[in-house]
Amino acid sequence: MTRTDVILRKFALAAVTIAVVVLLNFILFRVLPGDPVRAVIGRGVRISAETQAALRVQFGLDKPVFPDQFIDTLGQWAQGNLGVSWSQRRPVAEVLVAKLGNTLLLITAGQLLSIILGVGLGLLAGWRRKTALDVGALTFSLITWATPTFWLGIILLVAGSAWLGLPTAGSRDPGNVGKPMLEVLPDIAEHLILPTLTFTLVYLGQYMLIMRSSVLEVLSEDYILTAKAKGLTVWQTLTRHALKNALLPVVTLIALNLGFTVAGAIYIETVFSYDGLGRLFQEALNRQDYPLLQGAFLLLAVAVVGSNLLADLIYAYLDPRVKTT
Amino acid sequence: MKKVRALLQASVLASLILTACAGPAAPTAAPSEGTTAPATEPTTAPATGGDTEPSELRIAWGQDPDTLNPAYSFLAVSYTVFDLMYSSLVKEGPNGEYYGDLAETWEVSDDGLTWTYTLRPNIVFHDGTPLVAEDVAWIINTIKDDPEGWAALNSYTAGFVEATAPDAGTVVITTDYPISNMNYRVSVLYAVKRADFEGFASAEELQNFTNAEGIGTGAYKLVTYDTDQGVVIMEANADFYAGAPAIDRLIFQTFDSGDAQVQAFRAGDVDLLYDVPSTAVETVRGIAGTTVVQRPTRGFTELIVNATLPDNDPAPTGNPALADLAVRQAMSHAINKQDIVDIVWQGLARPEWSIIAPAFSGGFYHNDSITDHAFSLDSAREVLDAAGWVPSSDGVREKDGMRLEFRLEFDADSDSYPRIADLIATNFREVGMEATPAAVDSDTLIARTTGVGDFDLVIWGWGGSDPDPDFMLSIMTCGQFVSGGWSDSGYCNEEYDMLYAEQQAALDPAERQRIIHEMQALLFRDLPYIVLTNEDSVQAYRSDLFTGFPDYTADSTYGLGLTDAYVLRQAQPVP
Repeated sequence: MTRTDVILRKFALAAVTIAVVVLLNFILFRVLPGDPVRAVIGRGVRISAETQAALRVQFGLDKPVFPDQFIDTLGQWAQGNLGVSWSQRRPVAEVLVAKLGNTLLLITAGQLLSIILGVGLGLLAGWRRKTALDVGALTFSLITWATPTFWLGIILLVAGSAWLGLPTAGSRDPGNVGKPMLEVLPDIAEHLILPTLTFTLVYLGQYMLIMRSSVLEVLSEDYILTAKAKGLTVWQTLTRHALKNALLPVVTLIALNLGFTVAGAIYIETVFSYDGLGRLFQEALNRQDYPLLQGAFLLLAVAVVGSNLLADLIYAYLDPRVKTT
Repeated sequence: MKKVRALLQASVLASLILTACAGPAAPTAAPSEGTTAPATEPTTAPATGGDTEPSELRIAWGQDPDTLNPAYSFLAVSYTVFDLMYSSLVKEGPNGEYYGDLAETWEVSDDGLTWTYTLRPNIVFHDGTPLVAEDVAWIINTIKDDPEGWAALNSYTAGFVEATAPDAGTVVITTDYPISNMNYRVSVLYAVKRADFEGFASAEELQNFTNAEGIGTGAYKLVTYDTDQGVVIMEANADFYAGAPAIDRLIFQTFDSGDAQVQAFRAGDVDLLYDVPSTAVETVRGIAGTTVVQRPTRGFTELIVNATLPDNDPAPTGNPALADLAVRQAMSHAINKQDIVDIVWQGLARPEWSIIAPAFSGGFYHNDSITDHAFSLDSAREVLDAAGWVPSSDGVREKDGMRLEFRLEFDADSDSYPRIADLIATNFREVGMEATPAAVDSDTLIARTTGVGDFDLVIWGWGGSDPDPDFMLSIMTCGQFVSGGWSDSGYCNEEYDMLYAEQQAALDPAERQRIIHEMQALLFRDLPYIVLTNEDSVQAYRSDLFTGFPDYTADSTYGLGLTDAYVLRQAQPVP
């Protein structure tokens, strides 16, 4: 099998996975108990049974789920149209794009920091095994990893706003809403500090722990001994021989995390009232907004499958053995 | 409007749509239905002159508007914004009366079918164009004629024949039958800018319009509405008929977590908390320079008793023992409502028995002549003994092969209901009744109650957002016990239904009061609901920075929340 074949096959598999997820999601949302019309209008004003029926027709809920609703949905998607959110009454794509930017900002910053710090700390701890540094880093990582995200967020929120005067909510000051992003960069950055810090602390532990054990394993290999025997410095041994091999499990973890953190930032977004995807998912679910849910979960599926695919490809680059399987 | 979660109840409710709660005192002030003069002329605090820094009131709320299009808006917070940006013919005042907003005076004909509103002169929209009577008549007719498009407001025009504008300063509404709550109905028919809402090809197109740049004639202009950030910014309307409000800018910001809200308030990031989480009330009270406002809502928590008639289709599954009035009375005696208030609601509620809470129009509609069943386990036992329910070997009472064993279900989203269920189950066990608590998601509960009767006992609550008692009364009528309806108990009583129709047409407030009192007496006699508690709403503001808000402790019947248009117009920054 050539390398191109392998890659093509991986892409095909990813596409099939996404298709299956789409189908499953379509069914799952519809077997949820309850009436979406009721959930959308639920808490509001009185509304007659006739008007509820009219809305049901408008949403296409009067038709059978299979095949009518399913084919309608697929037809819409085939035209590149994710439909209109029932609760927000805006195109789903527009809603998703608006939130995606904020979430990506938070996740990218948080992931980068947690990867750099976690991998660095793990490398150090593995190398300086059984020293105070190792014990300290290990304890710190275990504690931050075990701390509930929500609780850590609240503590940082209270401390950050009280002592440092950092903002308590949102992705920018209300006064800066609607202004072009470049103009309000400092404000956006300020609003990112606490959520990013929370994110970093929560995810750092995993990377550190995996990296540490991976480094320990690699350091016991014969080729490391050979490298030392060749007279390489510790730094050269670590970077040239140990790091690349030790990074393999970390890459897997990063890829898995990248996919899930699109939704996984939900706790952090809630604590900091940060208007990202996580918050949107929760709201869409509460209001049984099928078009929005389907769009959101499609995005999530693509993110998870896509990052796994990416991990596979990076693997192939990092580990020559993977190429032919 | 259905079933608000318990936690919300304790806090949000009084600030819900068209807020108007009032304490139990002073039932003398009848709502001014059908009168000619506005009850109170709202005053606006004098704007501070000079080149001073524009004043800004920052408000934290837990939910952002679903849309600012009144045709399709269902969340309470949206109506808070509507009342600030839009005028309507009349608006609700502090004690359940209505004052003239666009209307200077109004009167109803002797047959009760023709309402004539004389408009204030010189009302202009935020874009400077004048408002004429034809604008008002147009929107009322539009809402009436497009039930699908104007889904959220259409029911308020039920029974309207048409609205006309005989001249630029007069609006006339004719109705099919006399409508007793006409003032409340027209208070939500907002005078929108006609050009904003004309020319939509379909209901869907109309509803997809977010109205983010809506133009009205209200005290505040809408400047920014950002759905993604959940931010609404409004600025004082210099051309407002009663003068510009003293606070120049209002900023509404959405917080997803109650703790973050309280922290933002403490840190000075926000000046007003739209609803204080019940667990944070004591914390907020302790913040210097703060005034906490605690008001009774019209909302309540109840134990729904399955009263579905046996011939219902589908057949009800409730324990047939519930049909015995003695069992329901014993339940009412056995529940310690004060415990629920103290333990679950942390004192922010009162025991209650009626679905018409005292907060409706300053106590005007609450039947004070009825005394609730006293909490007494002995009384409960006596009632059951007298009705022939005898304890079996395991302590559960039995009669004719029936056992007093019940499912006791509640909305799984609530963190209060499980505790109420435990208290009730404990009370019941002591008198020989076994209730098994179970959490069920709210959609399933709706599906199993409305029109179906697949339950024994359910703990749930109503928000009571309507300031008029009509909606609350309607949930006990036979016709509402259908899928998509509001009745969940299955109660059906022809006498009650007749009284319900009568109160809808009773233009004389005293007559309407008498009928509504009678309806409450019927419900108390039959007990389809065992109402448990009536909850409070808590808000807070920085009184070291803002003044002019009403003294809620001095007037326990003051029904409007801090963000009501009428109240905000009187507020001003501390100089």
